[in-house]
Amino acid sequence: MKEKLAKYINKELVKKGASDVVVNVGEVDAKQVKFVNNEIVKTGVEFIDHLDVFANFKNKLVSTSLRDFSQAAADKLIKEILAFSKNIQKKDDYYGVAKGDFKYKNVKDLYDKKYDNIDMVDLTMKAINASLVNGKRSSGILESNKFKNYLLTSNNVEKEQEGTHFYLSLRSFYDKDSSGHKNVAGRMLKDFNVEYAGLKAGEIAKDSRKPKKGNPGKFDVILDPLASAPLLDNIGNSASIFSVESGTSFFMDKLNQKVANNNFTLYDDATYANGLNSSDFDGEGSPSQKTTVIKNGVLKSYLHNASTAKKYKTKSTGNAGLVSPDPSNIVLDNGSKSVESLIKDVKDGLYITNVWYTRFTNYATGDFSTIPRDGIFVIKNGEINGAVNNIRISENMLNILNNIKDRANDLQQIRSWEAEIPVIAPSILVKDMNITRPVL
Amino acid sequence: MEKDIANFSIKYLQEKGAEYAEARLEEYDNTGFMLKNNTPEISGFDKNSGLGLRFIYHQTLGFVSINNFDKDKIKQTIDKSLSLTKKSSQIGEKVDLSKDSIYKKNYEVKQKQKIEDLRPEDKINILKELDKDVLNTKVKVPARYFSLSDVLTKKYYINSEGKEITSTIPRINLFYFLTIGAGKKLVQRYWQYGAVSGYEAIKKWNIHNVLQDEIKALDLVQKNGKKGPQGKIDVVAGPEITGIAVHEACGHPYEADRIYGREGAQAGESFVNINSIGEKIGNEAVTVIDDPMIENAFGYYQYDDEGVKAKKKYLMKNGIINEFLHDRQTSFKLNKKSNGSSRASSFGVEPLIRMSNTYIKQGKYSEEELIEGVKNGILMKSFTEWNIDDKRWNQKYVGSEAYLIKNGEIAYPLIRPTIEITTPSLYGSIDAIGKNFELHSASCGKGEPMQGLPVSLGGPSIRIRNITIK
Repeated sequence: MKEKLAKYINKELVKKGASDVVVNVGEVDAKQVKFVNNEIVKTGVEFIDHLDVFANFKNKLVSTSLRDFSQAAADKLIKEILAFSKNIQKKDDYYGVAKGDFKYKNVKDLYDKKYDNIDMVDLTMKAINASLVNGKRSSGILESNKFKNYLLTSNNVEKEQEGTHFYLSLRSFYDKDSSGHKNVAGRMLKDFNVEYAGLKAGEIAKDSRKPKKGNPGKFDVILDPLASAPLLDNIGNSASIFSVESGTSFFMDKLNQKVANNNFTLYDDATYANGLNSSDFDGEGSPSQKTTVIKNGVLKSYLHNASTAKKYKTKSTGNAGLVSPDPSNIVLDNGSKSVESLIKDVKDGLYITNVWYTRFTNYATGDFSTIPRDGIFVIKNGEINGAVNNIRISENMLNILNNIKDRANDLQQIRSWEAEIPVIAPSILVKDMNITRPVL
Repeated sequence: MEKDIANFSIKYLQEKGAEYAEARLEEYDNTGFMLKNNTPEISGFDKNSGLGLRFIYHQTLGFVSINNFDKDKIKQTIDKSLSLTKKSSQIGEKVDLSKDSIYKKNYEVKQKQKIEDLRPEDKINILKELDKDVLNTKVKVPARYFSLSDVLTKKYYINSEGKEITSTIPRINLFYFLTIGAGKKLVQRYWQYGAVSGYEAIKKWNIHNVLQDEIKALDLVQKNGKKGPQGKIDVVAGPEITGIAVHEACGHPYEADRIYGREGAQAGESFVNINSIGEKIGNEAVTVIDDPMIENAFGYYQYDDEGVKAKKKYLMKNGIINEFLHDRQTSFKLNKKSNGSSRASSFGVEPLIRMSNTYIKQGKYSEEELIEGVKNGILMKSFTEWNIDDKRWNQKYVGSEAYLIKNGEIAYPLIRPTIEITTPSLYGSIDAIGKNFELHSASCGKGEPMQGLPVSLGGPSIRIRNITIK
């Protein structure tokens, strides 16, 4: 029914003069378990239907949605779109949505047929029990969803996608001053290891007990994937051409320039198997791509949709967003050393397992700070030497990119409160990171 | 509104054995506009609705959100939720709610200049005028981004105890992000304006003048600003800084769900505990209030999302921790009544304990008098970067528009003076409170999935003695 309405709306809007129409139809079926201090405090079940419409009338761009999936409601919406479009102003630098017919590759591991059999309570208990091996109480959330998506455009695109998502965020507490946090996320149950998250979070919580006051200064810092993800997330956002135009990018005017250490290569990859934001196609039907954003330290590409690509005389990177091209999955390749081996390379440093509250003084220059939380470990002469607290990373993104010296071989997929864009990355070693702390 | 759907769902939940059930049916009618470097981006309009159901089953809390109002689909979704909740009760927290009065109420915030009376073009022109104001300053502002949105929210709340509350709330939201100057010295300014009101809010904000003054001042900061003094000095902080400090370091740590650990995994816990009421935390000059009933303020409501009547709360009274923010779950644990602080950002999410409009109570000094009382210090009028740890103890505020104070007078602009301080040090060092007053609008984040919720924060200018500036 919704697909039929999508076709009708598309046809009618083109008839009425729209040069581009995109209709996105779908439904999401989601489940959630929230647990606090080893008890489930809330369950959630959600069902959401949607039919979203984008239309371009001579560079007047309208977005809306249909709430009631009836023919009469569709007719009413079409009238409203026409009236609204007459009453808005042109976006002069708009160049249309992607033109099909496209050939698509099927991205692997996006839909798990076993979704309906998932036992949310059993998985929650497994995660909590694993955390209790070392930790004393644990809190967090387990989420799963299943979705269907149908995309139809006036430019010869008609494509469907089904998918599943799984996500666990678990924070283990040992006492009031020591905690550990681990997330696991993915598209397939076979790789969704909740016990690993529980066990690791519990270990960090126990190991970080009796923290001392952290010292300010410059330190070599190892960032666990949960701690580096918010930084890589901001780097991904900065690569969007929309951020560059809005002044919210530290990559402004830096295309083909050196922005990072020679050994640093970063991708945006919507084709990543099991990637949380992976898909066969983007928001306007362009086939998904893997884009090298930074290669050997040089900024190689901004992220584009079809219209922004045309504006800048380049090719779409398959990141539509119809207005703002958005990153898909930010990917940093795995390294070759173990985390233990990275620790051995550090004389005077810190091992930070999580950060939160990343905020910028200046997006254009990349000046920011973020607060390490959960286990923060001191490294002395290649060995862990106790835990600290109450510190802050006060840094610059471009400095950090230039100071990433090494990567571990512990690649993980992270989605978190702080990293809404999925990041697939290993632990990284950053030299000379600026650490501050409040005057107590 | 399709009220029968909410009534049907409550009845079905009761038939199925739910010990308690409530429904929030919400309808949103909104429009949104963006202007980037004087180019209109996409414009949108939407009419949406959905149903949020919260219930207790086998003493465990369950939540359903759905926007498909087919009765069979609702039954099927509720059944799925009941089954998950029953199974969860094996390791479920035993939930109970504090008692509250039963009432039927209907309230509406009236608009003078109605949202629906403005054409889309009129709304884009509001942004175009602002962009023109920026250009008229002749200051170099190479990147300019504005957005404007409005939403009329109709809400129908019922519960199995017999409460029934209907509300109609209009909300206007304006945001800008400006990049001023060039090269390494460039500065950025982003700020939000919001109101529970019709479009008459735009005039009240006097945003044209405020925006131009800000840009001119920040241009001087980037051109003539100097690195300021470091070490222990006095600070006069304007209402923007008062607001963020009061929101982050008083409002958040006093949310009782946070204190009990319910948001521990993400938003964090609190440096205070449930028995901290009565403890001295700040100078006696400081009184902090959270008041949902301030008309037209961005965090305005009369009844919260558990249908509890909104109330003015004194979070800190003369430097003493006085009251926490509660919902019916946390207040039950203390054998108290809820103080009406339960809010959800949409039908799709459970209500959590949230602030509304949070501010420091006015004192008796003018801002000039506060400045006159400082020999060597800084005036911090606005901020850029800020953050605070998840127990609300260690915080940082970086000055945006700031000046050196020498012998009670403003000397010259400063580049990014930084306060990095603990909560007791901050509140213990405030020695005088201004009589000026501003409330600023913001979106406050909490919960997983993340709920961004309209709030306001502010108060008067304050003087903070002898704190470390970096």
